[in-house]
Amino acid sequence: MITSPRFDKTLRIFNWVAAASIFIALLVAFFYAPVERTMGNVQRIFYFHVGSAWVGAIAFFVALAAGVLYLRKSDRKWDTLALASVEIGLVFLTMATVAGSVWGKPAWNTWWLWSPRLTLITVAWLTYAAYFMLRGAIEDEERRGRFAAVYVIVAFVTIIMAYVSVRILRDIHPVVVGGAMESAQGASEGLQEFSGLDSAKMGISLTVSTTAFSFLYIAWLLNRIRLQRIADAVKDLKIQVTTRLQGDHA
Amino acid sequence: MSEHTPLTRASESESKVFLTAVWAIVWKDLRIEQHTRQTISVMVMFSVVTVIMFNFALEANLDAARNVATGLLWATILLAGTLGLNRSLAIERENQTIDALLMAPIPRNAIYLGKVISVTLFTLALEVVLILLFIVFFDKPLWRPVVLLVLVLGTIGYVAAGVIVTSMTIQTRSREVLLPVLLLPLSLPLVLPSATAVALYMFPQQPVWGEVQSAVSIIIIYDLLMLTAGFLTYHFVVES
Amino acid sequence: MIQIQGLVKQYGLNLVLRGVDLQVAEGEFVTLVGSNGAGKSTLMRIVATLLQPTSGQVQIGGWQLPKHAAKVRRHIGLVSHQSLLYGDLTAAENLDFFARLYRLDNSSERVMAALKKVGLFARQRDPVSTFSRGMVQRLTIARATLHEPDVLLLDEPYTGLDQDASQLLDDLLRQEHSHGRTILMITHDLTHGLNLCDRTAILNRGKIVHQVNSRDVTASEFLALYTGYTRNQKDKAATP
Repeated sequence: MITSPRFDKTLRIFNWVAAASIFIALLVAFFYAPVERTMGNVQRIFYFHVGSAWVGAIAFFVALAAGVLYLRKSDRKWDTLALASVEIGLVFLTMATVAGSVWGKPAWNTWWLWSPRLTLITVAWLTYAAYFMLRGAIEDEERRGRFAAVYVIVAFVTIIMAYVSVRILRDIHPVVVGGAMESAQGASEGLQEFSGLDSAKMGISLTVSTTAFSFLYIAWLLNRIRLQRIADAVKDLKIQVTTRLQGDHA
Repeated sequence: MSEHTPLTRASESESKVFLTAVWAIVWKDLRIEQHTRQTISVMVMFSVVTVIMFNFALEANLDAARNVATGLLWATILLAGTLGLNRSLAIERENQTIDALLMAPIPRNAIYLGKVISVTLFTLALEVVLILLFIVFFDKPLWRPVVLLVLVLGTIGYVAAGVIVTSMTIQTRSREVLLPVLLLPLSLPLVLPSATAVALYMFPQQPVWGEVQSAVSIIIIYDLLMLTAGFLTYHFVVES
Repeated sequence: MIQIQGLVKQYGLNLVLRGVDLQVAEGEFVTLVGSNGAGKSTLMRIVATLLQPTSGQVQIGGWQLPKHAAKVRRHIGLVSHQSLLYGDLTAAENLDFFARLYRLDNSSERVMAALKKVGLFARQRDPVSTFSRGMVQRLTIARATLHEPDVLLLDEPYTGLDQDASQLLDDLLRQEHSHGRTILMITHDLTHGLNLCDRTAILNRGKIVHQVNSRDVTASEFLALYTGYTRNQKDKAATP
C-alpha cells in the first residue's frame, strides 16, 4: 500500500470548502446574526459553542460506528477512521468547552460549574483521552485495533449517559438541540438566562455555523486519515526493508 | 465421532447450557476465594487503610469528615474494586486457564457474566465491611434499604464495565497501571448519581423516594448499557 | 480426522504460517517438530480453535474451522506447556470444574476414574500449586481427556519434566493412543516422544518441509534430516 505524500484532489477541495465555510460562519455570526436581547454580543459565541459541541458528538458517533465495522471486517481503514475521529472529536469537545466557558463567565458569573452536564462532558473527555493510553500500551497492530474498537464502543456509553443524565437531572445548562420533549423541558427550566432562538436569523446563523463546523470536521478527518496512511505505509516499508536486509545476509 | 455427538447435545436448551456455564465459573471463583481468601482480604485491607488515612487527614474536623463520607465510600469502593478486578482476571492468566475456558463448549458471554457475578460478590462482601466501618467512624445511617439498593446496583454497573476493561488491560504491557486510567472515567457517569443518591440519605430524616428516583433510574440505565456492551464485545477481547 | 490445507497466518506483515498442509487420520499419532519461531504454537492454537487463520482450510472431524469451532470444541483436548489448571484449587476441584463446563454425565465417577488413571487419586484433595511439575502434567492430561475427546493436542508436553516424569508421560500417551485417540503433538525436542508416534513432520519457517513414517527412519537419521533444515534458518535468524 503506497500512498502519495501529495494532497489529492478531493482533499484539496475539502480543505478549501472548510476554510471558506468557516470564514462565512464568522461573517454570519458577527454581522448577520442579531444582537441577543438579554446577553448582548457575548451570545455570538454560542454559534461556535454549539457548532463544535455538535461536531464533537458526531465525531464520537462516527468513531463508534467505525469501531463496530472494524470488529466485523477487521480492516485497518476502520481503525484509522476511529482513531482520526476520536482525536478530532476531542479537539472539538475542547473547543466547545472553552467557548462555553467564555460564555459562562457573563451568563453564570463563573468560568466553570460542576453541573451534571459539564461534569459529564469532562468525564467523556477523560474517557476518550484514555483511548490513546490504551492504544499506546499495545504493540500488536491487530490486537490494538480490536481493543481500541471495543473501548470506543464501551466509551460511547459515557456520551449516552451525558445525554440521558441531563434529561433526567435538573441542569442549569440550556437545551438547544433536541426533540419536542427536550425543548419543552428547556423552555421550562434551562432557558431563563438565555431567551433562545427568538428570531429566524438566529436559526439561520446556527445552521450556517453547524454546517461550517461539519465541513471542518470532514476536512480534518480526511487530512488525519491521510497522515495515518502515510505513517502506516512508512512503518510497513521499514518492516519490508528490515526483512529484506535480513534475507540478504543469509 | 465418539459418544458425544453434536446431535445428542443439541437437545440441551441454550439457556440451560449458558446458566450451567455461568454457575460453574462463579462456583470456581468462590472456591478459589474460599481456599486463598486473597481477593477479599486484599480489598478489605486496602479499604481500611484508605479510610483510616482519610480519618487522620480530616481528624481536626470530624464534621468535614462526615460530609465527605459518601464520596470517600465510593472512592474506596472504586479503588479497591480495581484490585479485585485485576486479581480475578489475573487468575485466568496465571496458568493460561483462559485458554481452557475458551476451548470449552460454552458461550463466551457465560465467561463474562460469570466473572461479573463473582467480582460483584467480592465487592459486595467488601462493602459490608465498609458499611460497618463507616457507621463506626462517621456515624452515618448506611444501613438504609435504599442506600443498600444503590450500592448493589452501582457495583453491578461498575463491575460490568470493569470486567471488559480489565480483560483488555491485563493483556497489555502496563497492566495494573492502565486499569484505573481507563476504568475510573468510564464509571463516573454511574458513580456521580450513586454518590448523590447515597448522600441524600445521610441525614436523620429520610428523603422522599421521588428525590432519588432519577438517580436510581440513571444507575439502572448505565447497568443495562454496560452489560449489553460487555455481552456484545467480550469475545473480541478474549479471542484472537 | 484433522485436515489442514494451505493454512496461512499473518501478523501484520509477518507471515508465521505460509501454507501448511497436513492430514492426520483417525487414530493416528503425528508429531510436528520445528525450532523456535517455526510457527508450531501458532498452528496449534489455530487447530485448538483459539486463533483464527488468515486463510486456508482447517477441518476437524469434518467440521470447518473457525466457522464450526463451537461444535469442534467438545471433541478436542489440549495439553500445553502451560497447565491450564487453577493452582489454588485441589486436583479434584479442577477436574470437577471442567466436568461442569463440558456438562458431563455422572461427573464425580468420571473425575475419580481420571484421577486414578493418572495416579493422583491419593492427592485429590491437595491444591495443584503443591504438585511437582510431573504431577501437574499428569493432571493436565486427565483434564484434557476428561470429556473423552477424539483428538488430543499436545503442545510441548515434555517441557520441564525429569526422566521419570517423561517416562510416565510416555506411558500415558501410549495408553491414550491405544484407546484410538487421534493425537497431534508439537515439540522442538527430538529426544522425547518420537518413538511413540506413527508419523513425524518437520515444520520450518511456516511450512511443512518433510514427513516421514517413524518406522522408516532411525533416530540418528532423522536428527541429520532435521538439522539439515533448521541450520539454514538459524543462519538467517542470526542477523537482528
